[in-house]
Amino acid sequence: MIKIEASPEEIYDIELEHSLLEANAKLAEKNRAVLDRNGITAIDFMGAIGSGKTTLITRLVEKLKDRVGVAVFNGDATTSSDADPIAAYGVPVVQIATINGCHLDANVVAKACARIDLGKLRLIFIENIGNLICPAEFPLGSKARVVVVSVTEGPYMVRKHPHMFLGAQLVVINKIELAETMDVSVEALTGDVHKLKPDLRVIPTSCKTGAGIDDVARAILAV
Amino acid sequence: MHELSIASALVDNVVKFANSPPSKKVLKVLLQIGEFTCVEPEQLLFCYSVATRETSIEDSVLEIEQVAAEVRCLHCGYAGPPKYWDDALAAKPVATLECPTCGNATEVTHGHDCTIRTIRYIEQ
Ligand SMILES: Nc1nc2c(ncn2[C@@H]2O[C@H](COP(=O)(O)OP(=O)(O)O)[C@@H](O)[C@H]2O)c(=O)[nH]1
Ligand SMILES: [Mg+2]
Ligand SMILES: [Zn+2]
Repeated sequence: MIKIEASPEEIYDIELEHSLLEANAKLAEKNRAVLDRNGITAIDFMGAIGSGKTTLITRLVEKLKDRVGVAVFNGDATTSSDADPIAAYGVPVVQIATINGCHLDANVVAKACARIDLGKLRLIFIENIGNLICPAEFPLGSKARVVVVSVTEGPYMVRKHPHMFLGAQLVVINKIELAETMDVSVEALTGDVHKLKPDLRVIPTSCKTGAGIDDVARAILAV
Repeated sequence: MHELSIASALVDNVVKFANSPPSKKVLKVLLQIGEFTCVEPEQLLFCYSVATRETSIEDSVLEIEQVAAEVRCLHCGYAGPPKYWDDALAAKPVATLECPTCGNATEVTHGHDCTIRTIRYIEQ
């Protein structure tokens, strides 16, 4: 829709309704269609650096790789230190380097998809860049977004970064074996999540003791 | 910083518009940002000034307007402003997805986009 109004000084206003997020959203839909056609569910993991995204993905790969075809896209790709331990399980791993270093977008995910054989896969885990606010605006084509927070980020983690949770389908509260030491209540963090989004599922985990990992694996297989 | 990717998408679009014949001098760009997005206006203004440098729209001004959030509840039929979380520790009250009337999860109907609304220009 274009409407032009000329004012006496020959100043024009052109009215548009041009979305800056739409180009990425459309690409994300395309990724999703390609994945759906191949029977693949992509899950993307967001959360702060050090919250345990790579470790959680590694645990999930360990649990699931013999049952279903799994691949991992690692967006935290400044070094290969994160990808190597996962690749050791014999699953395809694609490292994604971004230019802006802030978030993955649907375009780089499309490129990563083109680098692997989608034929035998059932799941793709995408580790987003460790960042608290960005990813929500840039869908990738995943079927579910998982936010990983850890109790070591303190009791106010959810309240301070509410936006990240609104677009998520699952929240993992990690490192729960340290909750008492850190004096952080997992219940209070869960309550904060539900204040933002009442139906958002929260699973407490410890990648160290293995607590909750089976629940996350089951939730992911059910997506 | 996602403001930088948004600013560069914005600048690409506006430069393309300015350079398409007849060539135009862009004075002002009005951008609407939804309350449910987490784009920081201050950061975006800064990124815009950086991203327009040495382009044909270097002298243009970016104006940012917020679009209020609105939600709809499929459980009770509520439609309107979201419930706000006042004592969260964010800079201002946080728009949530909790239904103000029944407490179930709502879906967003307004305020999750970031759109160019108006470009003010003169023809050269
Ligand atoms: N104690 C404890 N440490 C964990 C847990 N999960 C991950 N870590 C450690 O936290 C650090 C950061 O984990 P990483 O997976 O690299 O985080 P990422 O930056 O989110 O990918 C590593 O030293 C992990 O070994 C957990 O459940 N408990
Ligand atoms: Mg990592
Ligand atoms: Zn309701």
